[in-house]
Order: sequence, then C-alpha cells, then structure tokens
Amino acid sequence: MIFDSLLDLFRGKAVTIPPMDGALRPNTLLEDADVRLGCQAPDNLVEMDGKVLFSSGHDVLELSGRKNAKPKVKAKFDNTVSALAASEEGLLAVGLDSGGIEILGPGSGRKMIDGFACPVALTFTGEHDLFVCNGSEEHRPGNWAMDLMEKNALGSVWHVSLSTGERKCLASGLAFPFGVAMDAGEGRLIVSESWRHRLVGIPAGGGEPMPLLTQLPGYPARLTPREGGYLLSLFAPRNRLIEFVLLEDDYRNDMMREIDPPHWIAPSLSASRSFLEPLQCGGVRTMGIHKPWSPSRSWGLVVELDASLQPVASYHSRANGTRHGVTSAIMHDGAILAASKGGDAILAAEPSSEKAES
Amino acid sequence: MSAIIEMHKVTKAYRGVPAIRDIDFALERQEIHALVGENGAGKTTLTKVIAGVVEATSGHMLYRGREVRYASPFQALSDGIAMVFQETSLVPSMTVAQNIYLGTESFLNRLRGVNVAAQQFLQSLNFTVSPTAPVATLGAAKRQMVEIARAVHHKAEVIIFDEPTASLTPEEKRYFFALMKRLRTSGVSIVFISHTLEEALSEANRITILRDGEKVAEGKATEFTREEVVRAMVGRTLSGEIYKKRRSLAEIRKAGAKVLSVQDISMGNAVRNNSFSIFGGQITGIFGLVGSGRTETFKIVSGIYKRDFLRGGDIELEGRHVRYSVPAEAVKDRVIYVTEDRKSEGIFETMSIAENFFSGYLAADLERSIIVDFREMRELAAHWSKRLNVRAINDNARVIELSGGNQQKVVIGKGLIQKPRLVIFDEPTRGVDVGAIAEIHQFINRLADEGLAVVVVSSYLPEVMNLSDRILVFRQGRVVEEVSPHEATQEKIMYAAVH
Repeated sequence: MIFDSLLDLFRGKAVTIPPMDGALRPNTLLEDADVRLGCQAPDNLVEMDGKVLFSSGHDVLELSGRKNAKPKVKAKFDNTVSALAASEEGLLAVGLDSGGIEILGPGSGRKMIDGFACPVALTFTGEHDLFVCNGSEEHRPGNWAMDLMEKNALGSVWHVSLSTGERKCLASGLAFPFGVAMDAGEGRLIVSESWRHRLVGIPAGGGEPMPLLTQLPGYPARLTPREGGYLLSLFAPRNRLIEFVLLEDDYRNDMMREIDPPHWIAPSLSASRSFLEPLQCGGVRTMGIHKPWSPSRSWGLVVELDASLQPVASYHSRANGTRHGVTSAIMHDGAILAASKGGDAILAAEPSSEKAES
Repeated sequence: MSAIIEMHKVTKAYRGVPAIRDIDFALERQEIHALVGENGAGKTTLTKVIAGVVEATSGHMLYRGREVRYASPFQALSDGIAMVFQETSLVPSMTVAQNIYLGTESFLNRLRGVNVAAQQFLQSLNFTVSPTAPVATLGAAKRQMVEIARAVHHKAEVIIFDEPTASLTPEEKRYFFALMKRLRTSGVSIVFISHTLEEALSEANRITILRDGEKVAEGKATEFTREEVVRAMVGRTLSGEIYKKRRSLAEIRKAGAKVLSVQDISMGNAVRNNSFSIFGGQITGIFGLVGSGRTETFKIVSGIYKRDFLRGGDIELEGRHVRYSVPAEAVKDRVIYVTEDRKSEGIFETMSIAENFFSGYLAADLERSIIVDFREMRELAAHWSKRLNVRAINDNARVIELSGGNQQKVVIGKGLIQKPRLVIFDEPTRGVDVGAIAEIHQFINRLADEGLAVVVVSSYLPEVMNLSDRILVFRQGRVVEEVSPHEATQEKIMYAAVH
C-alpha cells in the first residue's frame, strides 16, 4: 500500500526478532556435545597442518588429539589474542586486543602489522594475502559491548599484502565485521556483520557490501569454510529487550554511564553468577524444558550453512545450558569443534546434517 | 426393530446423468447408520432426497410405513426429518440463539427469553457456544455445533449429519459422538456421512457403502473391517497408502530459501506475537485446535485479515516487507490462500467449473488479453480439470452440482492457476473422500517437489504427520512447538497443542 510508509510514522517501529525455526530450531546438541577440552575462554579455532590451534587469553595453544589432554603452548603474547588465521604455507596471523597483527613464520620469525584498532577475524588466501576484519575504529576487541551500545558502524575489511606491505580497505562503514571467509568461486569475501545480524558479500577487489543472509536471530561471529558450505557461530542471541534498549537512547546512555558493563542489558557470552546482572534463568519448567521468563542474554549457537549460505542444521546450548558464547567453530576429523568462550570449553559435536543425508 | 425410513429403487438424475441409481436403503428405528463412499459416490444426494432438499427422479420412500415425497426441507422437517449440512446453512448476521429458534419463533419474541432458553439448551448439549454471539464471528466447529443444536431443537426423529466431524477437534468429536448416542437412546434415528472410516466403524450400528451412485454393500458395522470398507468404496485397497507409516529422515524434504518470515504478528486476541518462517521446496504442516489462531494467522499473511494497526508485527516475503490491505495484493505477489470454507469463500457455486477456474485467472496479475477469450477459458478449464482429475459431466457443469471433493479440487485449481510461489492450504481435505484425499495429497506433494513453499493447515493429525516436512503446532494464537515428522507422534503434537 502506498500510504504504508506514511502510516509507519504513526505505527512506530516494530521491534521484531526473527524466530529460531526451520534449520535453526533449538535443540541441545551443543549442550550435549563432548567436551574436548576445558580451558579458560577459548576463542578462535584454526586448523594448521592437520592440527587444531586455538587462542585462549594471551596464548595460542595446540589442541591435543586426546580428550582433555593438556594443550601445547605454541606462542605467548603480551596481550589477549583476539583473532587467528593459518595459511597452508605455515604462516600464523595473530590479532591482538591491543591492536595490531603479528605474523609468525614457519621458523621463529615474527612480523608486526600495526594500524588495526580491533582485529577480530583474519583469513589467508595464499601465502601473501591476508584479509582482516577490523571490528571498530574506536574500541578494542574486548570492548565489543560498548561498540554495540554506541550503535557504531565503524568496522572495515582490509586486504594486506604480506609481500609488499600494502594494505587496501575493501569495505568500510560495517557494523562490527566479526567473521570472514573467502568464496573463491564467486570471487568475494563473505563477512559476518554482527550488529546488523547478517552476512554480506564483498568483492575481493573491494566494493559495496551485498547482503547474502539477513535476519539472523543472533549476533554472527566467525565463519569458516567446510565441505559444501560454511560453519557460522553466533555468539549471543537477539532479544526484544536488548533491541528495545537499543532504541531508547536516553535509557541506554544512562545505563552506560551509571552501570558496570558486565551488568548492562546487552548480549553476553555467558550467564554470570552475579545477583546484579539482569536475571537470565529465573523461570518455569514447561514440557520438561526450562523456560526463562527473563530474556536470555547468552546462548550457544553454531549453524551449518550450505554453499548458497542457507542454514541446513544448527547446534544449540539453550538458556538453561552453559555452553554459551560460541565465537568460532571448525570441521576437524569429521566432527564440529566449537569454542565456547562463555562456557570455557572446546566442544566436539557430530554433524547432524550428514546424519540426515545418510 | 422396524425401519423408520425405507427407500426402494430411488434414482436421482441431474440433467439426465444419474447421481444415485436404483438405491434401496433402510434406516432402522434408534440406530446410527453410517453412509460411506468415495467422492461423488452419491451419499449427499441420497440424504438430500430423504430430507426433501431434492426430489427423486424415480423410486419411492416410506417414512413410518407411509409413502412420502417431500418437495422442500421444511416439509421433511415438519415430519421430523432434519439434516445438518456439510457446509452450514446458518444465517451469519444473526446470533446463535436466533439461528436455533429460526422458523419456530412465536409471534412476539423477547430476545432475552430466547437467549436464556438457547443458553440452557446449549448447556444441556455440552456445547460451549455463546447464544448472543453472531454466527459470522464463529469458527467452523462452533457453527457446526449450532447447526447440530438446531436439528436437535426441532425434535427431529431422524437426523442426517453430512460430514459432521470434519471441522471438530478430537475433544469436540468425543462430545459429538456421546451426544449422538444420547439422541439414539432418546429415540432418534441417525444417518451420518463420514469420510473418517474409523468413526463409521466405531460409532455406527450399520454401514451402507455407495460407489458411483450405487449401493455396493450394507451390513452391521461389526461385520466390516477397515480394509473391506475401503475396498468396497473404491474397488481397490487404498488403506495405508494415504496415511502410511512415519517417513524416514532421508524422505523429508530439505528446506530451500526462506520465502516467508513472520515476526511477532498480532491481531486482537486471536493471534498473539506469532513468529515463524516458511521455506521453499517443502511442506510446512500447521496443527492446532480450533481457536488456536491458525486460520487467522494465514489469513493475515494472505491479506484477508489485517493485523493490529499498532505493534502488529512484521511480515517479509522473500526479504521484502509486506502489509497487504486486500487479498488482491497478496495474489499479485503470488501468495495463494486456499480456503477451508469453500462454499462461502472458495467458489461461485452457481457458475460453471470453467468460469470458476477463469475467475482465479482473472484475479491474478498475469499477462493476458484485456478481452475475455472464451477459447482460452475452455482450454484452461480442460487443462486444470485434467490435471486435478475433476470428475464432472463437462466443464460447463455448475460447481454446486459437484461433490465436495470435486468442489475442493476446483477451489485448489482456482488458486494454482495464479502461478503461486507460496500456497496455503487450509483444511485441504475437509469433507473429501478417501480417493480424492490421496489425489489431493499427491498434488500437494508435487507442488513442494517443484520448489514451491507449501503450507498445509489441518486439524487431522495423520494428515499433518504424513504430508509435512516440518510441523508447527499452534496454541493460543502463536507457534508453541516445531516438530520434525520423523520424531513426531500424535501424542507429542497433541500435548503441545493442548498444554
């Protein structure tokens, strides 16, 4: 109707959240998954020479093949590691919370790339081409909640040539790009734009971002290729309360000024134990499932996407679970490894989409 | 026990084509007699002859041993024969109480008195319908209740129910059958037409089976098995073909792209913050009890109803926000709603099959000449009649002359002629016989295989479980559970729908 846009002024803006249904239908596959390793806040998982590396605090560690075996320390840094990428040639790129990216060669050589305030996702294409998601111009990676609450769109995606040291901005004005994968067939990068709850395609040579998958029910984080598609982790769920807070500027500004960040009404990586935080799991048990009456700020969610980026299966740890805040997932040895940063564990789940096909 | 109604060699022909032929039928006193048969077998025609809706072409009928020939339903009703029709014949603008007392009012009426009497009467039947509610505001099940109440109120000795349980929930069905048994013990003889064979076998004392206008079998219900009834009805064994066992995980179609995203839509108390998605290339089954907001939700999607003006939610069709004011806008976007109430919303019953199909074609925003091309109309009608296997004398036959199943096929064809990308079937097999159910199911499956997004709203659980690739359960105006048909059981779905 032609008057709809006019009428919308009176109706007000609807605060709606896409439902978790279809392939995103909640289950407990992540909650029930095997714990490969319990460790403090595991973040970015990558595969290098058939081994799994992950970041945890200031360290880059190697996951042992045995369950719960102590991981081997590959590298230590002065700051929290915020992103990892490994090349087939044996290069390891490490983003740091202080800004900047360190490149570790196959030997003991280290090289620093400065100028990125918030490196949150990295990927290699070949030995010399590194793509960087700079989440925000203003905030460090650990300060992501502030970036969301300020409703910033100051993120950018960069190409860095390791051979010449040249860097080129491929796209800017992004709302916290938190994951990147190369789609070689289409000659584009697929980037997860967290605060806009979508995946966008950016031409490898730079250009306007094209929405590819929109209306996600959570905040997308890292994206990794798998056979016949991708694995996308969503680190927190969207809920109406947070969307409402994002609409109410005065309230939000007061909250940011007066309340400690862990107790903000904002997405969270885990449900903390503090009585000060907005309640997460007070509620009732219906049909054997704990139904929280307060909107969940944290959730665990990994989504399998097909080659056309349509969700085909998902793995959840629900409001009453603990494997929350999944920031990265990869396929390794036929299993899905997921880093539950909020749940302090690396989980191994059996791919359910393959089960359906067999 | 002597027969209260006896029919000998009764034939009824429309335009020289017999709908029933040389039928002998007997209804004993105080019995429940089930009439079963395939789509177009002549069940409704036979009962219409009994109730005086149509006159037999030949043959004769005895009522309480006396030969009768009714020229109108009023005559039959005065004699004590009432018929409850498949499509209700209530006056939508009048209240429930007024409908119950319609035709039996005293010269001076006190509305309050009528309402109180109707309230007591409805309570005695265990029907939870408000006597002051206008019939237009009632759902199909409650209309059916009023229709039944009206028949009972006329103190009929013979009551004919045409598909009485099609729109009732399992709980309401139990009430209905208990009521039917109560009526029987109080001296009423009952004929009921049903396509649910289990009902016929378990609730009736005797069964008569018709096929192609002829009686093929008659006997005590206890003497038949389901297989035998089906074989007699269709001349082949269909049982188990339609509602086969649970499908394996591999048989369930995978979701294609998201076609429809409904977020937080609300409409008064009927639909409350309802959110769900519909995907291409698969059938989404919708189950819910009457009043759960299923029909209302999909009527909002297709522009028939309007969601709340303020905070009414959001609907996206393939990523585009839509808010339809009228169904024509939805049809233009190729969103088709195939109604559950075919008589008042689905067809022009006095128009021909061809004209009905063509009306669907005219409503769509398809490329065509501005002048009506009758040759094109005939070709379209021939094509769709063949595709949907509409059984009629020819395409010029009026839709009113078709059986329920064939009418339903016309309604479906009228929608599909509009080349939809999202098809919503609301109770697609309500009042349709077993043979036609199989055909309609096959057709719906084919649509999903072709990549269309298909929604099937049904209150018949086996249908939902058998057709769907995913099942959404509605309760109190919103989706409360999503179930995969692989893991679904009747108990699980019903539990979600009730609790």
